[in-house]
Order: sequence, then C-alpha cells, then structure tokens
Amino acid sequence: MKVEAIEYGDRKVYSVGAFNRGVSSWLARLPTVWVEGEVTELRRSDRWASVFFTLKDPQDGSCLGVSIARGQFDALRLELTDGDRVHAFGRPELFEARGEFRLRALSLERFGLGDHLAALERLKTKLAAEGLFAAERKRPLPLLPGRVGLVTGNDAAAKRDVLTAITARFPPANVLVAETYVQGPRAAGAVVEALRSLCGEGVDVIVVARGGGSFEDLLPFSDERLVRAVADCAVPVVSAVGHEQDIPLCDLAADVRASTPSVAGRLVVPDLAQLLERLDRSRAGLERGTRRSLERERQRLDRSHDRLRRAPPLLVERGRARLEQTAGRLRALSPQATLERGYAIVRAQDEIVRSGSEVAPGERVDVELSEGGFGARVEETR
Amino acid sequence: MTFEEAQEELEQIVQRLETGETPLDEALKLWQRGEELYRFCRDRLDRAEGKIEELASRAEAAKP
Repeated sequence: MKVEAIEYGDRKVYSVGAFNRGVSSWLARLPTVWVEGEVTELRRSDRWASVFFTLKDPQDGSCLGVSIARGQFDALRLELTDGDRVHAFGRPELFEARGEFRLRALSLERFGLGDHLAALERLKTKLAAEGLFAAERKRPLPLLPGRVGLVTGNDAAAKRDVLTAITARFPPANVLVAETYVQGPRAAGAVVEALRSLCGEGVDVIVVARGGGSFEDLLPFSDERLVRAVADCAVPVVSAVGHEQDIPLCDLAADVRASTPSVAGRLVVPDLAQLLERLDRSRAGLERGTRRSLERERQRLDRSHDRLRRAPPLLVERGRARLEQTAGRLRALSPQATLERGYAIVRAQDEIVRSGSEVAPGERVDVELSEGGFGARVEETR
Repeated sequence: MTFEEAQEELEQIVQRLETGETPLDEALKLWQRGEELYRFCRDRLDRAEGKIEELASRAEAAKP
C-alpha cells in the first residue's frame, strides 16, 4: 500500500492513519509463527467479531495481545481459563484504529505438560535415530585432566557440590567455571556458548551441572541445540542435570551421565592418594624387578663358574676310570687268567713247547703255573 | 604422551621385570625407562596448581 506523506519544506510528515497503515502493511509481510504462552484476560462477547486475550510468558512475564475470530474460537471449544498454556498460530498485526500491536491468531491449541512430554519424546526418538545417544559415541574420560571445565548456573549448590567433590579427591585440580543461565529461554543458547568457550580455553573434560528443578526449569537441557552441542563437544562431557529421576536429553547425549553434581565431580578427576600409591607401587616394582633380573644373572654366572672349576678333577677321574677299564681288558687277555684255570706253560730252552715231538726224553723243561713253577725232565714223548 | 599412556607403559615394564626373565642388559634399560616414566607422572601431578578460575568476562557479557 502506498503511504502518502505531506511535505512541509524538506520534512516528510505522515498522518497517524498513514503511519499505522504503513506499519501494518509492513507487519503483514511477516510470516506466520507459533507462539507459546499462558492465557490471561480472556475477553469474549457475542457482540464482538473477535475474541481477545493476553498471552503471558511464564518465564519473564512478557505479554502479547492476541485476537482471534470469534467463530473460529468458539469452534475450537477449548474452554480456556486464565493460566492455561496454549500455542497460538498467527501473524503480527497492528490494529490500525488504535495503533495496537497484537498477534492475529488463525488457530489455537492447548499445550500442557502432556504435550511437552510428547514433543520431548518425538525429539528423543529423532535424535536417537541419528545415533546421538549411541553407546559407541561415548568417549572415555581422561584419567588426569589438565583442566576441567564446569558449566553451571549461579545456583550455588550445584557449583559448590562439583567443586567440593573435585578438590576433595584431587586437590591440585585446575577448574575453569563458566556461569550461565540454566533456566529460561536464554539457557539453551547460553550453555551452548559456554561449552564452546570452555573448549576454546583448552579444557580436557566438561561437567554440565544443574540442581533439581521443575520439569519446565529443566526443559532447556532437552533443547535440540543444547543436546547437539553436548554430543558434538570437542571434549568428553559429563552431565549432571536435575535429580536422578529426571533424564533431560542432554544426559543421554553426554559421554557420561552422573546422578548428582557431586558424582560428576568425582568422575572427572582421579583420587590423588590412590594415584600416588599406584605410582609408588610401580616404582617399587621397577626396582624389585631389576634386582630380580640381576640376581638371576648372578646365579647363572655362579653356576657356570662352579661347573668350570669342577671340570679338571672330573677329567682326571674320567681318565682314571677309562684307564682301569683298559687295564681290565688287558688283564683278561693275559695268560695269567688261563693259568689260573689250571693250565701250565712248558718251555724248553725258553721256547714254548706246543708238541711232544719238540722235546726228547731226558731233556730239561721249565713248567710255569699260575703261582710259581718248577723244573722237570721229560720221561717219554708221545 | 598422556599421563595414562605413561602410567600404562610403566606398569607394563614392571610386569615384564617382575618375571625376572629379562636379560640383565635389557632389564637395566627397562629400569631406566621406567624411572623416566615415573618422573614424568610425578611431574604431571606436582605441576598441577590447583586453581579454580571463572570464565568471568564471557559469563558477564552473556548477562542482560
């Protein structure tokens, strides 16, 4: 719509109607959106073409006037009362006659806790299908983080619990705390930003801690942006949001879920006393093991030395035994053994007599026996 | 090398040494390496300062 201005010299001036029309036509180009809020000040009259009410933001109290065609409103049969949560679908509008800005609703839906739960369930199913909560995505926490990042609200309890648990277990811990909003419409974005900042500061692990709260207080921790940021975080994330029974989606996307902020604190640092004990045990083992190797080598050397020293007597002994054996065999072959069996050796003129024809009667012979011998004369020959 | 890696290698060395089967030359080398790893781990623990800082500037900027 063309908006006419009156010109006074070089000043363009709009009439109120023209200004309102101009703004109105500009607003009309904005897209239709869904707006969530609580219904207050509902005004309906059979004499009016529209029904009016105010939508109130339960978090910060912001208000927005809403109008909806009466026929449309009646047909929905929502039976709305003050405080009911609704989703209104429409576009911004300027009521030109009064210069009042409001939302012109085309449709209206009641949106209660059950709807929140259903929406959450849909998001959970979608993210699970993408594998965001899969076990194989979970990363192990570093045993000894150089620096721990902590995302928490100025909600003193959760922050104190995490820090107390960390310093009790590991006094020399370095912790970088990022305080952010942990409820309300800004919370999801603020936590995402805190995660990013902490990663930029070079932390090795991040704890996201928030104490218990109402279902709605914890809703930002199921916000798709926040859940994705936790899953995609450059370092492992431990999530301790709400109480044991609350499972916001960020708990599912985190690498480790802790039931309370204190548990989260204990998970991210090692027990210093235990660590030192383990190290010292290793060191003792190092010495003990080396000494054992040394001892074993020494024993081996000693054994070799012993064997070396025993070698010469052994050789003599062996020689002697062998000599005895040879001597035995020698003795077995000598005539002495034969003589011992009763045989005699007869010699004539130092020659052994083997036949009767070698001697003549009257000839002297020498007879050798096993023990001693005698001389004799031949009586006759045969 | 991370603290975990150092600790793991140290414990493996101890395990090997404790069998007593390691030849002396190698045992001495392992011992030396083990002592290095032990010192590395102790250093890491001793160097930690134990400070708690606030990421204050950014958190302030995010507030209204």
